[in-house]
Amino acid sequence: MISQYMDIFRTFRIDIFRSLYETVDMMFFAMLASLILGLLLGFILFATGSEGIYRNRAVYFLVSSLINITRSIPFILFIIVIIPFNRLILGTGFGVNASKIPLSFIGIATFSRFTEKDLLDLDKNLYETSYALGSNAFQYFIFFLLREARSGLVLSFTSTTISLLSYSTVMGIIGGGGLGYLAISEGYYNFNYKLMWIIIVFMILIVQFIQAIGNAIAKKIDKR
Amino acid sequence: MINGRETKIIDQIYLHVEKGDIFGLVGETGSGKSTILRLMNGFMKADEGDIYLMGQRLDEGTRYRLVKDSSMIFQDFNLLGNLNVIDNVLLPSRLRKGDRKENIKRARELLSFVGLSNFERSYIRNLSGGEKQRVAIARTLMTRPRVIFCDEPTSALDEKMSYEILKLLREINEKFDSTIVVVSHDISVIKALCNRVAILDRGRIKDIISLDVKELKPLSYKEALLGD
Repeated sequence: MISQYMDIFRTFRIDIFRSLYETVDMMFFAMLASLILGLLLGFILFATGSEGIYRNRAVYFLVSSLINITRSIPFILFIIVIIPFNRLILGTGFGVNASKIPLSFIGIATFSRFTEKDLLDLDKNLYETSYALGSNAFQYFIFFLLREARSGLVLSFTSTTISLLSYSTVMGIIGGGGLGYLAISEGYYNFNYKLMWIIIVFMILIVQFIQAIGNAIAKKIDKR
Repeated sequence: MINGRETKIIDQIYLHVEKGDIFGLVGETGSGKSTILRLMNGFMKADEGDIYLMGQRLDEGTRYRLVKDSSMIFQDFNLLGNLNVIDNVLLPSRLRKGDRKENIKRARELLSFVGLSNFERSYIRNLSGGEKQRVAIARTLMTRPRVIFCDEPTSALDEKMSYEILKLLREINEKFDSTIVVVSHDISVIKALCNRVAILDRGRIKDIISLDVKELKPLSYKEALLGD
């Protein structure tokens, strides 16, 4: 039984590793975009929200609505809807590079909401403390909010990364490839269920690894 | 606005705190004493009237500069849990320009002053309430503030710890010549510490009185219970 799986693995190992590379390539870009822009949008949501220091209903509504729209469209349709935008930016609507754009959008939207929640969970007196100690608004964000929210943000980013891995599996429809697409196209559609199960196990191991790393970092940096 | 209705939290407050005073604001919960403290350090803005801090008018243009010469001690300590003791003490200096080595030296001196030299690398979660307030006091002194605002500094502490903190505040007033403004609902705290006190009632000053500064003495539970 196991030897049959090993044989399948040997036969498809080049495809599996090529697909793994495609997944990592898509994921890396989307993770980076989510981290930087998601964090920024999360801070904007928090700062302009009802408990923020720059309360502004119009800005909050606009940013919040854009995030909600991105998250509410079924992802497989979102990928299709965004093809013209991919063409505008990259000159092509298909391929691994084009897949990075919808993946980044959903990552940014997801992580920004997580960031907003993590900041809302902090001690409400943090701004007053920062003010009384002589900090300006920028220092408040960096020295107080970011520092106190860091372990929550790491866990949120871990969850975002795992979601991105899940979203990346449907990138095959615009030629993005990746592990998930190999499992569906070669495994499911070609009745090669053993290959499908090998990839499923592979992805379970990747998720376990990502979550374990995220948990370990969050635990290490949480001193509260 | 409270629950959609316009409500005056404080009204007609005329107050002058002399340099070097330990000035108390006493009153029942909801009397407006914490609001006055936050108006005094510029955190809140008054709808009407002027506030002068260290001789300068507080407004949007001056408050961030003036607040740097003051500091605040909070009821719940407001320390940063992800920083250890010395990093908490160093935090105000990190928000200003300055020599890092000099700052570390001063932070260590202040930790020694508040009796926490051995806790430099400890994290806040491992400290008792009294120790946390000592860290907060050391953090307050880091920038040599001319005015220290204290919002119910002992209300989260037991009798013995309260005495230690009050003693420390008295020492700070004498040693560093800082003006201290203390808000408390606890008469014994005000009586033990302050030389002038404003009594607040429903957002207005009812009276301002001067007190004789007495020697601070720790009381056992028995003495406290039997005393008048």
